[in-house]
Amino acid sequence: MRNLFRYRDLILTLIARELTVRYKRSTIGFLWTMLQPMLTMAVLHIVFSSIFRFQIPNYAVYVLAGVLFWNFFSQSIISSMNSLRGNAGLLKKLPVPHAVFPIATVAAGVVNLVLALVPLLALLVVTGHGLSPSLLFLPVSIAIATLFTLGAGLLLSPLAVIFYDVVEVVGVVMMLAMYATPIFYPMSILPPTFHWFVRFNPIRSILEVFRDPIFYNKVPPLSHLTVALTVALLAFALGCWSFRRSADRIPFYV
Amino acid sequence: MTVIRLDHIALRYRLAKQRIPSLKEYAIHLVRGALTYQELWALQDVSFSIERGEVVGIVGRNGAGKSTLLKVISGILKPTRGRADVRGRVSPLLELGTGFDFELTGRENVMLNALLLGRSRREVRERFDAIVDFSELGEFIDVPLRNYSSGMTARLGFAIATAWDPEILILDEVLVVGDAAFQQKCHTRLREVLASGATVLMVSHVGRMLIDECSRCLWLADGQLVMDGQPAEILALYEPPKPPDEPLREPVAVEAPVERG
Repeated sequence: MRNLFRYRDLILTLIARELTVRYKRSTIGFLWTMLQPMLTMAVLHIVFSSIFRFQIPNYAVYVLAGVLFWNFFSQSIISSMNSLRGNAGLLKKLPVPHAVFPIATVAAGVVNLVLALVPLLALLVVTGHGLSPSLLFLPVSIAIATLFTLGAGLLLSPLAVIFYDVVEVVGVVMMLAMYATPIFYPMSILPPTFHWFVRFNPIRSILEVFRDPIFYNKVPPLSHLTVALTVALLAFALGCWSFRRSADRIPFYV
Repeated sequence: MTVIRLDHIALRYRLAKQRIPSLKEYAIHLVRGALTYQELWALQDVSFSIERGEVVGIVGRNGAGKSTLLKVISGILKPTRGRADVRGRVSPLLELGTGFDFELTGRENVMLNALLLGRSRREVRERFDAIVDFSELGEFIDVPLRNYSSGMTARLGFAIATAWDPEILILDEVLVVGDAAFQQKCHTRLREVLASGATVLMVSHVGRMLIDECSRCLWLADGQLVMDGQPAEILALYEPPKPPDEPLREPVAVEAPVERG
Protein backbone atom coordinates (compact mmCIF):
# COMPACT_ATOMS: atom_id res chain seq x y z
CA MET A 1 0.00 0.00 0.00
CA ARG A 2 2.77 2.39 0.99
CA ASN A 3 4.48 1.45 -2.21
CA LEU A 4 1.38 2.26 -4.27
CA PHE A 5 1.29 5.70 -2.68
CA ARG A 6 4.84 6.33 -3.85
CA TYR A 7 3.76 5.56 -7.40
CA ARG A 8 0.72 7.87 -7.28
CA ASP A 9 2.10 10.14 -10.00
CA LEU A 10 2.56 7.13 -12.24
CA ILE A 11 -1.06 6.11 -11.63
CA LEU A 12 -2.27 9.62 -12.55
CA THR A 13 -0.20 9.59 -15.73
CA LEU A 14 -1.50 6.14 -16.68
CA ILE A 15 -5.07 7.38 -16.17
CA ALA A 16 -4.43 10.37 -18.42
CA ARG A 17 -2.82 8.13 -21.02
CA GLU A 18 -5.70 5.67 -20.91
CA LEU A 19 -8.16 8.51 -21.45
CA THR A 20 -6.28 10.18 -24.29
CA VAL A 21 -5.11 7.10 -26.17
CA ARG A 22 -8.66 5.89 -26.58
CA TYR A 23 -9.73 9.07 -28.30
CA LYS A 24 -6.56 10.06 -30.09
CA ARG A 25 -7.61 8.64 -33.44
CA SER A 26 -11.20 9.78 -33.19
CA THR A 27 -12.07 13.19 -34.58
CA ILE A 28 -14.84 13.83 -32.08
CA GLY A 29 -12.60 12.69 -29.22
CA PHE A 30 -14.13 12.90 -25.78
CA LEU A 31 -17.61 13.50 -27.23
CA TRP A 32 -17.58 9.84 -28.08
CA THR A 33 -17.75 8.94 -24.36
CA MET A 34 -21.04 10.77 -24.20
CA LEU A 35 -22.40 9.77 -27.58
CA GLN A 36 -21.75 6.03 -27.41
CA PRO A 37 -24.10 5.26 -24.48
CA MET A 38 -26.75 7.52 -26.01
CA LEU A 39 -26.64 5.55 -29.25
CA THR A 40 -26.79 2.24 -27.37
CA MET A 41 -29.72 3.59 -25.44
CA ALA A 42 -31.45 4.69 -28.66
CA VAL A 43 -31.07 1.22 -30.19
CA LEU A 44 -32.33 -0.54 -27.07
CA HIS A 45 -35.17 1.96 -26.86
CA ILE A 46 -36.32 1.19 -30.37
CA VAL A 47 -35.99 -2.55 -29.89
CA PHE A 48 -37.59 -2.93 -26.50
CA SER A 49 -40.06 -0.08 -26.36
CA SER A 50 -41.44 -0.38 -29.86
CA ILE A 51 -40.91 -4.02 -30.78
CA PHE A 52 -41.16 -5.89 -27.47
CA ARG A 53 -43.40 -3.17 -25.97
CA PHE A 54 -42.00 -3.03 -22.44
CA GLN A 55 -44.38 -1.11 -20.25
CA ILE A 56 -41.93 1.16 -18.49
CA PRO A 57 -42.68 4.86 -18.39
CA ASN A 58 -39.64 6.81 -19.48
CA TYR A 59 -37.80 3.68 -20.60
CA ALA A 60 -35.04 5.80 -22.14
CA VAL A 61 -33.86 6.96 -18.71
CA TYR A 62 -34.17 3.45 -17.28
CA VAL A 63 -32.05 1.91 -20.00
CA LEU A 64 -29.46 4.70 -20.20
CA ALA A 65 -28.77 4.46 -16.46
CA GLY A 66 -28.36 0.69 -16.88
CA VAL A 67 -26.10 1.01 -19.92
CA LEU A 68 -23.83 3.56 -18.21
CA PHE A 69 -23.36 1.26 -15.26
CA TRP A 70 -22.80 -1.79 -17.42
CA ASN A 71 -20.33 -0.09 -19.75
CA PHE A 72 -18.32 1.07 -16.76
CA PHE A 73 -18.30 -2.35 -15.16
CA SER A 74 -17.57 -4.52 -18.18
CA GLN A 75 -15.16 -2.17 -19.97
CA SER A 76 -13.17 -1.60 -16.80
CA ILE A 77 -12.71 -5.31 -16.28
CA ILE A 78 -11.80 -6.12 -19.88
CA SER A 79 -9.44 -3.12 -20.03
CA SER A 80 -7.73 -3.94 -16.76
CA MET A 81 -7.08 -7.44 -18.03
CA ASN A 82 -5.63 -6.06 -21.26
CA SER A 83 -3.66 -3.41 -19.45
CA LEU A 84 -1.97 -5.84 -17.06
CA ARG A 85 -1.23 -8.20 -19.93
CA GLY A 86 0.05 -5.41 -22.14
CA ASN A 87 2.43 -4.24 -19.44
CA ALA A 88 3.47 -7.64 -18.14
CA GLY A 89 6.81 -7.39 -19.96
CA LEU A 90 7.62 -4.34 -17.88
CA LEU A 91 6.92 -6.14 -14.65
CA LYS A 92 9.74 -8.53 -15.44
CA LYS A 93 12.21 -5.66 -15.62
CA LEU A 94 11.06 -3.03 -13.17
CA PRO A 95 9.86 -3.22 -9.56
CA VAL A 96 6.60 -1.39 -10.32
CA PRO A 97 3.71 -2.42 -8.05
CA HIS A 98 1.61 -4.57 -10.34
CA ALA A 99 -1.66 -3.13 -9.10
CA VAL A 100 -1.02 0.29 -10.65
CA PHE A 101 -2.32 -0.99 -14.01
CA PRO A 102 -5.77 -2.27 -12.97
CA ILE A 103 -6.16 0.69 -10.59
CA ALA A 104 -5.42 3.23 -13.33
CA THR A 105 -7.76 1.48 -15.75
CA VAL A 106 -10.69 1.41 -13.35
CA ALA A 107 -10.02 5.05 -12.38
CA ALA A 108 -10.09 6.03 -16.07
CA GLY A 109 -13.41 4.17 -16.28
CA VAL A 110 -14.77 6.31 -13.44
CA VAL A 111 -13.78 9.47 -15.32
CA ASN A 112 -15.58 8.18 -18.41
CA LEU A 113 -18.64 7.32 -16.34
CA VAL A 114 -18.76 10.81 -14.84
CA LEU A 115 -18.42 12.38 -18.31
CA ALA A 116 -21.22 10.18 -19.58
CA LEU A 117 -23.48 11.51 -16.81
CA VAL A 118 -23.70 14.81 -18.72
CA PRO A 119 -25.92 13.48 -21.53
CA LEU A 120 -27.89 11.53 -18.91
CA LEU A 121 -28.71 14.74 -17.09
CA ALA A 122 -29.67 16.31 -20.41
CA LEU A 123 -31.97 13.36 -21.09
CA LEU A 124 -33.59 13.76 -17.68
CA VAL A 125 -34.41 17.36 -18.53
CA VAL A 126 -35.52 16.73 -22.13
CA THR A 127 -37.84 13.84 -21.25
CA GLY A 128 -39.44 15.83 -18.45
CA HIS A 129 -38.24 13.36 -15.85
CA GLY A 130 -36.66 16.26 -14.05
CA LEU A 131 -33.57 16.67 -11.89
CA SER A 132 -34.31 15.32 -8.45
CA PRO A 133 -32.20 16.08 -5.36
CA SER A 134 -31.67 12.33 -5.07
CA LEU A 135 -29.07 12.70 -7.85
CA LEU A 136 -26.77 14.12 -5.18
CA PHE A 137 -26.53 10.58 -3.87
CA LEU A 138 -24.82 9.41 -7.08
CA PRO A 139 -21.23 9.92 -5.84
CA VAL A 140 -21.91 7.32 -3.15
CA SER A 141 -23.40 4.95 -5.74
CA ILE A 142 -20.41 5.43 -8.00
CA ALA A 143 -18.01 4.83 -5.12
CA ILE A 144 -19.73 1.52 -4.35
CA ALA A 145 -19.69 0.53 -8.03
CA THR A 146 -15.99 1.43 -8.23
CA LEU A 147 -15.10 -0.68 -5.21
CA PHE A 148 -16.96 -3.62 -6.70
CA THR A 149 -15.44 -3.20 -10.17
CA LEU A 150 -11.91 -2.76 -8.86
CA GLY A 151 -12.32 -5.94 -6.84
CA ALA A 152 -13.43 -7.85 -9.92
CA GLY A 153 -10.62 -6.31 -11.98
CA LEU A 154 -7.97 -7.27 -9.42
CA LEU A 155 -9.38 -10.78 -9.27
CA LEU A 156 -9.45 -11.34 -13.02
CA SER A 157 -6.57 -9.34 -14.49
CA PRO A 158 -3.69 -11.63 -13.41
CA LEU A 159 -5.40 -14.49 -15.23
CA ALA A 160 -5.05 -12.59 -18.49
CA VAL A 161 -1.27 -12.69 -18.15
CA ILE A 162 -1.22 -16.42 -17.54
CA PHE A 163 -3.70 -17.54 -20.20
CA TYR A 164 -4.12 -15.65 -23.44
CA ASP A 165 -7.71 -16.74 -24.04
CA VAL A 166 -9.09 -15.65 -20.69
CA VAL A 167 -10.12 -12.26 -22.02
CA GLU A 168 -12.39 -13.90 -24.61
CA VAL A 169 -13.85 -16.25 -21.99
CA VAL A 170 -14.53 -13.33 -19.68
CA GLY A 171 -16.14 -11.48 -22.60
CA VAL A 172 -18.64 -14.30 -23.03
CA VAL A 173 -19.27 -14.55 -19.28
CA MET A 174 -19.85 -10.78 -19.26
CA MET A 175 -22.52 -11.14 -21.91
CA LEU A 176 -24.24 -13.81 -19.84
CA ALA A 177 -23.96 -11.61 -16.77
CA MET A 178 -25.49 -8.71 -18.67
CA TYR A 179 -28.57 -10.76 -19.50
CA ALA A 180 -28.74 -11.91 -15.89
CA THR A 181 -28.80 -8.28 -14.73
CA PRO A 182 -31.85 -6.09 -15.33
CA ILE A 183 -29.98 -3.56 -17.49
CA PHE A 184 -32.54 -3.12 -20.22
CA TYR A 185 -35.55 -5.08 -18.94
CA PRO A 186 -37.66 -4.61 -15.83
CA MET A 187 -37.65 -7.34 -13.17
CA SER A 188 -41.39 -7.71 -13.70
CA ILE A 189 -41.10 -9.33 -17.14
CA LEU A 190 -39.07 -12.26 -15.79
CA PRO A 191 -40.79 -15.65 -15.66
CA PRO A 192 -40.80 -17.06 -12.11
CA THR A 193 -38.14 -19.66 -12.97
CA PHE A 194 -35.55 -16.97 -13.68
CA HIS A 195 -36.70 -14.45 -11.14
CA TRP A 196 -34.69 -15.81 -8.23
CA PHE A 197 -31.60 -16.06 -10.41
CA VAL A 198 -31.62 -12.39 -11.33
CA ARG A 199 -32.77 -11.39 -7.87
CA PHE A 200 -29.75 -12.92 -6.19
CA ASN A 201 -27.32 -11.71 -8.82
CA PRO A 202 -24.89 -9.60 -6.75
CA ILE A 203 -24.27 -7.23 -9.67
CA ARG A 204 -27.95 -6.26 -9.55
CA SER A 205 -27.62 -4.85 -6.04
CA ILE A 206 -24.83 -2.56 -7.24
CA LEU A 207 -26.83 -1.53 -10.31
CA GLU A 208 -29.97 -0.72 -8.31
CA VAL A 209 -28.06 1.55 -5.96
CA PHE A 210 -26.84 3.42 -9.03
CA ARG A 211 -30.21 3.53 -10.81
CA ASP A 212 -32.48 4.39 -7.87
CA PRO A 213 -31.41 8.03 -7.61
CA ILE A 214 -31.62 8.50 -11.38
CA PHE A 215 -34.78 6.65 -12.37
CA TYR A 216 -36.86 6.37 -9.20
CA ASN A 217 -35.79 9.76 -7.82
CA LYS A 218 -35.01 8.24 -4.46
CA VAL A 219 -32.11 7.50 -2.22
CA PRO A 220 -31.79 3.70 -2.16
CA PRO A 221 -33.37 2.14 0.94
CA LEU A 222 -30.93 1.33 3.72
CA SER A 223 -31.45 -2.42 3.31
CA HIS A 224 -30.41 -2.28 -0.38
CA LEU A 225 -27.50 -0.02 0.46
CA THR A 226 -26.26 -2.43 3.09
CA VAL A 227 -26.45 -5.35 0.68
CA ALA A 228 -24.66 -3.42 -2.10
CA LEU A 229 -21.94 -2.15 0.20
CA THR A 230 -21.38 -5.63 1.61
CA VAL A 231 -21.18 -7.11 -1.89
CA ALA A 232 -18.74 -4.38 -2.97
CA LEU A 233 -16.54 -4.76 0.09
CA LEU A 234 -16.46 -8.53 -0.28
CA ALA A 235 -15.55 -8.25 -3.97
CA PHE A 236 -12.83 -5.73 -3.14
CA ALA A 237 -11.42 -7.85 -0.32
CA LEU A 238 -11.45 -10.96 -2.51
CA GLY A 239 -9.79 -9.02 -5.34
CA CYS A 240 -7.02 -7.66 -3.09
CA TRP A 241 -6.42 -11.02 -1.49
CA SER A 242 -6.17 -12.93 -4.77
CA PHE A 243 -4.14 -10.19 -6.46
CA ARG A 244 -1.55 -10.25 -3.70
CA ARG A 245 -1.24 -13.97 -4.14
CA SER A 246 -1.11 -14.07 -7.92
CA ALA A 247 0.81 -10.84 -8.58
CA ASP A 248 4.07 -12.35 -7.36
CA ARG A 249 3.76 -15.00 -10.03
CA ILE A 250 3.17 -12.62 -12.94
CA PRO A 251 6.86 -12.10 -13.84
CA PHE A 252 7.25 -15.86 -14.17
CA TYR A 253 4.59 -16.14 -16.83
CA VAL A 254 5.84 -13.55 -19.28
CA MET B 1 24.62 -0.41 8.49
CA THR B 2 23.39 -3.44 6.61
CA VAL B 3 21.29 -2.41 3.63
CA ILE B 4 20.86 -5.76 1.93
CA ARG B 5 20.44 -9.00 3.81
CA LEU B 6 19.61 -12.21 1.99
CA ASP B 7 18.66 -15.09 4.20
CA HIS B 8 18.68 -18.57 2.63
CA ILE B 9 17.20 -17.37 -0.65
CA ALA B 10 15.98 -19.99 -3.08
CA LEU B 11 14.09 -19.35 -6.26
CA ARG B 12 12.39 -21.92 -8.42
CA TYR B 13 11.28 -21.54 -11.99
CA ARG B 14 8.62 -23.99 -13.00
CA LEU B 15 8.90 -24.59 -16.68
CA ALA B 16 5.84 -26.33 -18.01
CA LYS B 17 6.87 -29.11 -20.34
CA GLN B 18 3.77 -28.50 -22.38
CA ARG B 19 3.05 -25.19 -23.97
CA ILE B 20 -0.05 -24.05 -22.10
CA PRO B 21 -0.74 -20.48 -23.01
CA SER B 22 -4.50 -20.93 -23.05
CA LEU B 23 -7.08 -21.75 -20.45
CA LYS B 24 -8.57 -24.37 -22.75
CA GLU B 25 -5.29 -26.25 -23.10
CA TYR B 26 -4.66 -25.90 -19.38
CA ALA B 27 -8.04 -27.48 -18.63
CA ILE B 28 -7.36 -30.31 -21.09
CA HIS B 29 -3.95 -31.05 -19.60
CA LEU B 30 -5.34 -30.83 -16.10
CA VAL B 31 -8.11 -33.31 -16.85
CA ARG B 32 -5.66 -35.70 -18.46
CA GLY B 33 -3.39 -35.29 -15.48
CA ALA B 34 -0.59 -34.61 -17.91
CA LEU B 35 0.52 -31.31 -16.51
CA THR B 36 4.17 -31.76 -15.65
CA TYR B 37 6.73 -29.18 -14.86
CA GLN B 38 10.42 -29.11 -15.09
CA GLU B 39 11.74 -27.50 -11.97
CA LEU B 40 14.71 -25.26 -12.19
CA TRP B 41 16.24 -23.87 -9.04
CA ALA B 42 17.87 -20.70 -10.27
CA LEU B 43 19.03 -19.84 -6.75
CA GLN B 44 19.69 -22.28 -3.96
CA ASP B 45 20.25 -21.26 -0.40
CA VAL B 46 22.01 -17.98 -1.07
CA SER B 47 22.80 -15.90 2.02
CA PHE B 48 24.91 -12.78 2.37
CA SER B 49 24.62 -9.24 3.56
CA ILE B 50 25.92 -5.99 2.18
CA GLU B 51 26.78 -2.87 4.15
CA ARG B 52 25.97 0.63 3.03
CA GLY B 53 28.50 2.01 0.54
CA GLU B 54 29.92 -1.33 -0.53
CA VAL B 55 30.52 -1.83 -4.24
CA VAL B 56 29.99 -5.49 -4.92
CA GLY B 57 30.71 -7.30 -8.16
CA ILE B 58 29.07 -10.56 -9.15
CA VAL B 59 30.68 -13.09 -11.45
CA GLY B 60 29.49 -16.40 -12.77
CA ARG B 61 28.80 -18.18 -16.02
CA ASN B 62 25.61 -17.90 -18.03
CA GLY B 63 22.73 -19.44 -16.14
CA ALA B 64 24.52 -19.22 -12.80
CA GLY B 65 21.66 -17.11 -11.42
CA LYS B 66 23.26 -13.66 -11.54
CA SER B 67 20.34 -11.88 -13.17
CA THR B 68 17.82 -13.74 -11.03
CA LEU B 69 19.70 -12.64 -7.93
CA LEU B 70 19.63 -9.01 -9.05
CA LYS B 71 15.90 -9.28 -9.72
CA VAL B 72 15.26 -10.68 -6.25
CA ILE B 73 17.20 -7.80 -4.68
CA SER B 74 15.37 -5.30 -6.90
CA GLY B 75 12.03 -6.67 -5.73
CA ILE B 76 11.01 -7.83 -9.20
CA LEU B 77 10.97 -11.53 -8.35
CA LYS B 78 9.76 -12.90 -5.07
CA PRO B 79 11.94 -15.74 -3.81
CA THR B 80 10.34 -19.14 -3.42
CA ARG B 81 12.04 -19.55 -0.06
CA GLY B 82 14.02 -17.35 2.25
CA ARG B 83 13.91 -13.68 3.05
CA ALA B 84 15.31 -10.70 1.24
CA ASP B 85 15.56 -7.56 3.36
CA VAL B 86 16.48 -4.50 1.36
CA ARG B 87 16.61 -1.11 3.08
CA GLY B 88 16.61 1.88 0.81
CA ARG B 89 15.54 2.71 -2.66
CA VAL B 90 16.75 0.36 -5.37
CA SER B 91 17.49 1.69 -8.85
CA PRO B 92 17.67 -1.32 -11.11
CA LEU B 93 19.51 -0.68 -14.35
CA LEU B 94 18.80 -4.05 -15.87
CA GLU B 95 17.84 -2.99 -19.35
CA LEU B 96 17.77 0.55 -20.66
CA GLY B 97 14.55 2.00 -21.94
CA THR B 98 12.26 -0.62 -20.45
CA GLY B 99 8.81 0.87 -20.68
CA PHE B 100 9.50 3.31 -23.49
CA ASP B 101 6.42 3.98 -25.57
CA PHE B 102 7.60 4.41 -29.14
CA GLU B 103 4.53 6.38 -30.16
CA LEU B 104 5.27 9.08 -27.59
CA THR B 105 7.89 11.81 -27.95
CA GLY B 106 11.18 11.78 -26.08
CA ARG B 107 9.80 14.44 -23.74
CA GLU B 108 6.74 12.36 -22.87
CA ASN B 109 8.89 9.27 -22.45
CA VAL B 110 11.21 11.00 -19.99
CA MET B 111 8.22 11.59 -17.74
CA LEU B 112 6.68 8.16 -18.21
CA ASN B 113 9.94 6.27 -17.81
CA ALA B 114 11.04 8.16 -14.71
CA LEU B 115 7.60 7.63 -13.15
CA LEU B 116 7.96 3.91 -13.85
CA LEU B 117 11.26 4.05 -12.01
CA GLY B 118 9.33 5.39 -9.03
CA ARG B 119 10.05 9.10 -9.36
CA SER B 120 7.47 11.81 -8.81
CA ARG B 121 6.41 14.42 -11.38
CA ARG B 122 8.14 17.10 -9.36
CA GLU B 123 11.42 15.20 -9.32
CA VAL B 124 11.20 14.72 -13.09
CA ARG B 125 10.49 18.38 -13.74
CA GLU B 126 13.48 19.36 -11.61
CA ARG B 127 15.84 17.12 -13.55
CA PHE B 128 14.24 17.34 -16.98
CA ASP B 129 16.74 19.75 -18.53
CA ALA B 130 19.70 17.85 -17.11
CA ILE B 131 18.35 14.62 -18.62
CA VAL B 132 17.93 16.18 -22.06
CA ASP B 133 21.39 17.77 -21.87
CA PHE B 134 23.02 14.51 -20.92
CA SER B 135 21.25 12.58 -23.68
CA GLU B 136 22.47 15.13 -26.28
CA LEU B 137 19.16 14.77 -28.11
CA GLY B 138 18.56 18.52 -28.52
CA GLU B 139 15.52 19.20 -30.65
CA PHE B 140 14.87 15.49 -31.14
CA ILE B 141 13.37 15.44 -27.65
CA ASP B 142 10.03 16.45 -29.21
CA VAL B 143 10.10 13.74 -31.88
CA PRO B 144 8.32 10.39 -31.35
CA LEU B 145 10.72 7.64 -30.29
CA ARG B 146 9.89 5.50 -33.30
CA ASN B 147 12.00 7.90 -35.35
CA TYR B 148 15.03 7.55 -33.07
CA SER B 149 18.07 5.48 -33.88
CA SER B 150 18.83 2.72 -31.39
CA GLY B 151 21.78 4.75 -30.11
CA MET B 152 19.57 7.76 -29.44
CA THR B 153 17.05 5.61 -27.59
CA ALA B 154 19.76 4.03 -25.46
CA ARG B 155 21.27 7.44 -24.68
CA LEU B 156 17.91 8.69 -23.47
CA GLY B 157 17.41 5.52 -21.40
CA PHE B 158 20.81 5.92 -19.75
CA ALA B 159 20.24 9.62 -19.08
CA ILE B 160 16.94 8.93 -17.31
CA ALA B 161 18.16 5.94 -15.35
CA THR B 162 21.19 7.73 -13.95
CA ALA B 163 19.66 11.18 -13.46
CA TRP B 164 19.25 10.65 -9.73
CA ASP B 165 21.95 9.45 -7.39
CA PRO B 166 20.64 6.07 -6.27
CA GLU B 167 20.74 4.64 -2.76
CA ILE B 168 21.22 1.12 -4.08
CA LEU B 169 22.26 0.73 -7.70
CA ILE B 170 21.86 -2.57 -9.50
CA LEU B 171 23.79 -2.91 -12.74
CA ASP B 172 23.42 -5.91 -15.01
CA GLU B 173 26.39 -5.74 -17.38
CA VAL B 174 28.18 -2.47 -17.74
CA LEU B 175 25.79 -0.26 -19.58
CA VAL B 176 27.77 1.83 -21.92
CA VAL B 177 26.05 3.20 -24.95
CA GLY B 178 26.53 5.31 -28.03
CA ASP B 179 29.70 6.45 -29.74
CA ALA B 180 33.11 6.67 -28.11
CA ALA B 181 32.58 10.19 -26.77
CA PHE B 182 29.24 9.29 -25.25
CA GLN B 183 30.67 6.13 -23.72
CA GLN B 184 33.27 8.23 -22.00
CA LYS B 185 30.45 10.30 -20.54
CA CYS B 186 28.64 7.16 -19.35
CA HIS B 187 31.78 5.92 -17.62
CA THR B 188 32.28 9.28 -15.98
CA ARG B 189 28.69 9.32 -14.78
CA LEU B 190 28.93 5.78 -13.42
CA ARG B 191 32.13 6.70 -11.57
CA GLU B 192 30.31 9.68 -10.04
CA VAL B 193 27.52 7.37 -8.86
CA LEU B 194 30.05 4.93 -7.44
CA ALA B 195 31.80 7.79 -5.67
CA SER B 196 28.55 9.22 -4.29
CA GLY B 197 28.53 6.60 -1.57
CA ALA B 198 25.78 4.50 -3.09
CA THR B 199 25.63 0.80 -2.45
CA VAL B 200 26.27 -0.88 -5.77
CA LEU B 201 25.80 -4.40 -7.06
CA MET B 202 27.10 -5.07 -10.53
CA VAL B 203 27.31 -8.02 -12.80
CA SER B 204 30.17 -7.69 -15.22
CA HIS B 205 32.20 -9.82 -17.52
CA VAL B 206 34.92 -7.24 -17.65
CA GLY B 207 37.36 -8.34 -14.96
CA ARG B 208 39.28 -5.06 -15.06
CA MET B 209 36.13 -3.14 -14.17
CA LEU B 210 35.49 -5.37 -11.15
CA ILE B 211 39.01 -5.09 -9.82
CA ASP B 212 39.04 -1.32 -10.33
CA GLU B 213 35.62 -0.52 -8.93
CA CYS B 214 34.59 -3.19 -6.47
CA SER B 215 35.52 -3.65 -2.87
CA ARG B 216 34.09 -7.14 -2.80
CA CYS B 217 33.13 -9.86 -5.20
CA LEU B 218 30.60 -12.71 -5.17
CA TRP B 219 30.96 -15.81 -7.31
CA LEU B 220 27.82 -17.65 -8.27
CA ALA B 221 27.70 -21.10 -9.86
CA ASP B 222 24.57 -23.16 -10.46
CA GLY B 223 22.51 -20.92 -8.27
CA GLN B 224 24.84 -21.18 -5.30
CA LEU B 225 27.25 -18.78 -3.74
CA VAL B 226 30.68 -20.35 -4.22
CA MET B 227 32.91 -17.60 -2.96
CA ASP B 228 32.72 -14.20 -1.34
CA GLY B 229 35.89 -12.17 -1.12
CA GLN B 230 38.38 -9.77 -2.67
CA PRO B 231 37.79 -9.16 -6.40
CA ALA B 232 41.42 -9.88 -7.37
CA GLU B 233 41.43 -13.09 -5.39
CA ILE B 234 38.15 -14.33 -6.88
CA LEU B 235 38.97 -13.34 -10.44
CA ALA B 236 42.21 -15.28 -10.21
CA LEU B 237 40.22 -18.42 -9.49
CA TYR B 238 37.30 -17.60 -11.73
CA GLU B 239 38.69 -17.78 -15.22
CA PRO B 240 36.10 -17.26 -17.90
CA PRO B 241 36.23 -20.42 -20.02
CA LYS B 242 37.90 -20.06 -23.39
CA PRO B 243 36.46 -20.03 -25.93
CA PRO B 244 33.87 -18.14 -23.85
CA ASP B 245 30.28 -19.37 -24.02
CA GLU B 246 29.25 -15.84 -24.74
CA PRO B 247 31.23 -13.31 -26.72
CA LEU B 248 33.35 -11.18 -24.46
CA ARG B 249 32.14 -7.77 -25.28
CA GLU B 250 34.67 -5.03 -25.58
CA PRO B 251 33.34 -1.82 -24.09
CA VAL B 252 33.87 -0.09 -27.44
CA ALA B 253 31.42 -2.35 -29.25
CA VAL B 254 28.78 -2.47 -26.57
CA GLU B 255 25.32 -1.20 -27.32
CA ALA B 256 22.97 -1.57 -24.40
CA PRO B 257 19.96 -3.63 -25.39
CA VAL B 258 16.84 -1.57 -25.86
CA GLU B 259 13.57 -3.35 -25.92
CA ARG B 260 11.16 -2.24 -28.60
CA GLY B 261 7.44 -2.02 -28.02
